[in-house]
Amino acid sequence: MKKNNENKFNTPEGYFESFHDRLMDRIQKEEGGTGSSIPNTDGFTVPGNYFEEVVPTILSKTTAEGGKVIPLGSRRNFYYAAAAIAAIFLLVFGINWKTETTPLGFDDLASAEIDAYFENHEIGLSSYEIAEAIPLEDIQLNDVLAEDLTNDILWEYLEDNMEDIEDLHLENEEHE
Amino acid sequence: MIAEETLVQELKSKESQAKAFEVLVNTYKERLYWHIRRIVLDHDDADDVLQNTFIKVYRNIDGFKGDSKLYSWMYRIATNESLTFLKQKSKKMGIGDQELKERMVENLQADVYFEGDEIQLKLQKALATLPDKQKLVFNMKYFQEMKYEDISEVLETSVGALKASYHLATKKIEAYLRAD
Repeated sequence: MKKNNENKFNTPEGYFESFHDRLMDRIQKEEGGTGSSIPNTDGFTVPGNYFEEVVPTILSKTTAEGGKVIPLGSRRNFYYAAAAIAAIFLLVFGINWKTETTPLGFDDLASAEIDAYFENHEIGLSSYEIAEAIPLEDIQLNDVLAEDLTNDILWEYLEDNMEDIEDLHLENEEHE
Repeated sequence: MIAEETLVQELKSKESQAKAFEVLVNTYKERLYWHIRRIVLDHDDADDVLQNTFIKVYRNIDGFKGDSKLYSWMYRIATNESLTFLKQKSKKMGIGDQELKERMVENLQADVYFEGDEIQLKLQKALATLPDKQKLVFNMKYFQEMKYEDISEVLETSVGALKASYHLATKKIEAYLRAD
């Protein structure tokens, strides 16, 4: 059987001649990474001869006034002295100041920082340890319940779940 | 590179300093100007900062150790001078950094040295929303066509971090320009 090597496909005219340019355009565009929505220029201009005129202005403030330029090195001793005085002041006042400051406490923490700490750290505390750590004196039971717990409901619960209601020693003054 | 070393030596020598400094100013004035202008936006402010930059270069050339390229060192001074200038300006006006940026862009509409059209003005508004570092990286890469290695030396940031910053900046700007 004879193999048919004849190519039945066509390409647009000039396809291969323009391929390189089109490829380079695309690479440039993609490497630029900006797409076409960002303009290529930003619209800033300068006054006519600005770049010619700025040179003598700068030179007049530098090389032309060489005598006025004070090298930093000649002031080195002054800086050392100033730094030494500053260090002494910091040391003297720093110690006194530090002793007068009140130490940071739990109340100084922002709630968000505490929330973030609990969210980001695994806290292996039992409910007993948590109860010990959190002061409950000022918290009423109804503060943490969605619905108010009335005395009637409490009695009903106790009657249903206690074998002998007297075990509670509600009137027993020995527990006072 | 050799030319730069020679220039540095001439700048440090009292006899050749004046001539070498003139060469330095002429070589870098435009590049540094455009770098500064894109940070401070206003021409007069850019002019002030450019002069301050060259004065600082002149006064501190003896301290230039050659650890980085002279060009990077001057860019770093120009960047710091520009950012310090803006901080002082916002302090003087009694407004925050972000408010100053917004006012700077608003002022462009009346600036005779800004000939940008609507899209170029919008680009400046988009740039004003970026953090300073991202804005710097974008301007240095996109408009000044600097290599990441050179930007890395100026901003003292790794090339990887710069590429990430540039990518983020372009995405944010594109999104801003596309939005209404």
